[in-house]
Amino acid sequence: MKIEIKDLYFTYPTGVEALRGISLTVESGEQVAIVGQNGAGKTTLVKHLNGLLLPTRGQVKIGGWDTTKYPVAKLASRVGYVFQNPDEQLFSRNVGMEVAFGPKNLGFDAERVEALVNDALVLTQLADKTETNPYDLSATWRKMVALASILSMDTDILIFDEPTTGQDAVNVARIAHVIAELRKRGKTVITITHDIDFCAENFERVIAMSQGKILLDGRTNDVLGREEILASTYVDPPQLTRLGKRLGFKNTVRNQEEFLNALKK
Amino acid sequence: MHERLSFFVKRDSPIHRLNPMTKAVMALSLVLIAFLSPWYWTPLALFLFVILPLSLVARVAREYWNFILKVILPTLIILFIMQAFFLPGESRSIFEVFGLEITELSARLAFRNVMRILVMISSFTILLLTTHPSELMSDLSRRGLPGQFAYVVISSLQIIPQMQAKAQTIISAQRSRGLDTQSSFLRRVGGILPLVGPLVFGSLVEVEERAIAIEARGFTSTRPKTFLREIQDTSFDRALRWALIACVILTLILRIWLS
Repeated sequence: MKIEIKDLYFTYPTGVEALRGISLTVESGEQVAIVGQNGAGKTTLVKHLNGLLLPTRGQVKIGGWDTTKYPVAKLASRVGYVFQNPDEQLFSRNVGMEVAFGPKNLGFDAERVEALVNDALVLTQLADKTETNPYDLSATWRKMVALASILSMDTDILIFDEPTTGQDAVNVARIAHVIAELRKRGKTVITITHDIDFCAENFERVIAMSQGKILLDGRTNDVLGREEILASTYVDPPQLTRLGKRLGFKNTVRNQEEFLNALKK
Repeated sequence: MHERLSFFVKRDSPIHRLNPMTKAVMALSLVLIAFLSPWYWTPLALFLFVILPLSLVARVAREYWNFILKVILPTLIILFIMQAFFLPGESRSIFEVFGLEITELSARLAFRNVMRILVMISSFTILLLTTHPSELMSDLSRRGLPGQFAYVVISSLQIIPQMQAKAQTIISAQRSRGLDTQSSFLRRVGGILPLVGPLVFGSLVEVEERAIAIEARGFTSTRPKTFLREIQDTSFDRALRWALIACVILTLILRIWLS
């Protein structure tokens, strides 16, 4: 499902101009990371994708649907949005019910709900915690429950707002695994992140934002190579990328494999 | 996005510079004088010759009128009509409908009551417009008000806007999960739990964290406390307070003496 954003402007009621002319197309099945300093407009931008915010000017289309013409509850069948703080959405008595809430809202039949819930729980490694109350789980696992509760909605587009913040390495790997699986299934994933290593290792396309505008948009290696421009939005490329640059590699590298290959040449 | 709960308007004016206690005493004195005074026209006179000039000197006239005209005036009009109809007053009838009548006396009494209430609301509005709540509370705790009490007042003023913001995020999160908050009433009633649940859990957690945070900074310490914010209390402030208290006592004496 294609995302088309045309000349999007958004001003908050307080008068803050959060987006100033964003044009962007994300093809079906693409995996995109959005980086940039705090207040760059990343969250404001993704909140337009499921109609939580509506453009002050410009247009957002999700698979041909203009977001101003459909209610959020309807757009939820196309765009899943995992909020940053899981505690702002968990309310059920147990994990299973929590994860079933979304697909039930979308009106799927009982059989499909069960299949989707099971799939989401397996994918997030929560299958053994179905009966647990989400509030008895640690913060890391609650984050996985929130993730599962959106995965189970089987939307073509998924938005993750800072999925790795405050997570240990094991859980970051779990989240990376989920994203890799979603890529295989042809889902579009848009992730906001400050975790530049996570971004470098899991995404093929990176968008850097600053002050409500897109600064850079392109292949991960190309974007991470533009150290000076990234610095203006307080993003440091990964250490290996910077080291590669210092060593005078011709191409930008972003992970160990690329680094070692470049070193061997 | 965060709605402001306190009325405070940051300006530089002689009234803003007064000690918060002085302003509180002033507000209270005006109310007492308006209610105790034996003369019929006192509340109106206070409104015209004290409250209005005060709002101008404090440079909050616009905010003051905005609030009075939009919120208070409609209430006062209704109050006046109710009182005029129902206060007992054996005198010449000036208006009659459905067997209910407004007499000259009931209209006079209703007008006085409405003016008293106007003075009361106005004086406290000006107090709140010119005094930051935390300044008032820190001045009161400096004068011996228990810290716990100040905490209750200040935290409730802060918690409500925070909860509003939190509720907004929760609503967004659940709508993103297909929760219908915009259609039929029945569907919306069914959608209460997913909204209230996280709000209540989250707020309980926050209250505990807040308590730990302030305790970590020695909230219940019994040692004498110092204050970060220096609050001016000039001799003019003190003189003004005594003068106001004298006015209240004088009004009280006149009232007893004349009745």
